[in-house]
Amino acid sequence: MSESDLILGIVVATALAFDVTNGFHDTANVVATSISTRAMSPRIAVGYAAILNFAGAFISLEVAATVAKDVVDAGAITTSVIFAGLIGAIAWNLVTWYYGLPSSSSHALIGGVVGATIAAVGTSAVFGEGILSKVLIPAVIAPVLAFVVGAIGIVAAYRIVGRQRPGTVTRGFRLGQVVSGGLLALAHGTNDAQKTMGVITLALVANGNLPSTGFEVPTWVIVSSATAIALGTYSGGWRIIKTMGTRIIKMDAAQGFSAQGAGAAVILASSHFGFPLSTTQVIAGGVMGAGAGKRVSAVRWGVAGNIVTAWLLTLPAAAGIGALTYGFVELFPDAVGPVIVSAIGLGLVAYAFVRRLRRPEALPA
Amino acid sequence: MISAAIDTTALWETVVAAFVAGVGTTIVFSLAILGASRFTEASRAGNRAHAGQFGTLAVLGLLATAAAVVFGVIVMTSK
Repeated sequence: MSESDLILGIVVATALAFDVTNGFHDTANVVATSISTRAMSPRIAVGYAAILNFAGAFISLEVAATVAKDVVDAGAITTSVIFAGLIGAIAWNLVTWYYGLPSSSSHALIGGVVGATIAAVGTSAVFGEGILSKVLIPAVIAPVLAFVVGAIGIVAAYRIVGRQRPGTVTRGFRLGQVVSGGLLALAHGTNDAQKTMGVITLALVANGNLPSTGFEVPTWVIVSSATAIALGTYSGGWRIIKTMGTRIIKMDAAQGFSAQGAGAAVILASSHFGFPLSTTQVIAGGVMGAGAGKRVSAVRWGVAGNIVTAWLLTLPAAAGIGALTYGFVELFPDAVGPVIVSAIGLGLVAYAFVRRLRRPEALPA
Repeated sequence: MISAAIDTTALWETVVAAFVAGVGTTIVFSLAILGASRFTEASRAGNRAHAGQFGTLAVLGLLATAAAVVFGVIVMTSK
């Protein structure tokens, strides 16, 4: 095995590790709504989401193509750059997970790769127009759209069923949440697993395994990315479930259905056009919209403000960590840098997990 | 320069599709619940005509919801 193949192997393993963190970090947002309205128990909701995440990863490749082609120049970067970008994304994901902040894994990934690329090659290899049109503008529009759809949806629902027996209405919407929650998990798998597929494909191009133009995502990349995000989802993310499910608003089943429907509709429509969205931002927008549609003061705007702050920090923070990691990796010859960073990273992850396990936050099964 | 880089058509289509699908699905599913709730009440009261009407509304609402979900997945897989 050559040095470059060894680095490629480390990059693929790191990308799949990112996919796992993406699963337990982001998918918690997907299931939180169903859990908080008691439409499903936490364990069933997480298992259900994991299966649909896996299935969703096979639906489309538009987002993977965007990540591989429209963010940075695949022909100008190396596998070390992609490795450093992934470390930036994983580090930021773990920091926000540790503190229970539902930030965007997608923006962490794109920020990390862009930061490492700027450190390695300069701004010439960064596609500013692609990032603006495919990432930044949809990032602003999507959560606002989910907010509006969630708010109008819940107002319409209350007008239609407002005078009916509460028990029948609640049971009906809880049943509906099984479908809307499933659709949201499917949408999440579609959009988020593709980001990892895009990064692995980018690494294969950088390593010369795929041509720099006209390439396609290999099947083994699709299957491994789908499996990784499903495993991450199943492992759960209870802290973020708590934040998303109860701290933004207290939801009823109709609000949960409206929020999930809004989130799924926005993510599926965006995935169709290849926009790599933050599912976290979209579902939070839907949840806040469903809350504000009932009563504006029902939304805990302070918590929502913390989430917005985490979002604003995500791109620059992940880019900074990615750039620093690239600088560190380049201090060592060949594959030594990635091996050292991987060892340090694994140690820090193990430490963080041990600390968290000492303070478990149990939810009813 | 910036406006030329933005695919406004794709963005606009995304906004319209998400709005119609999100709000539309919530409305048709709410109608299904309304139909089911009123069907139960009418049946208990022995009002067969009303029960039939609201039962039909419930079934149509459920079918429309299912159709919206299937259509969404088909649109995703068609590209």
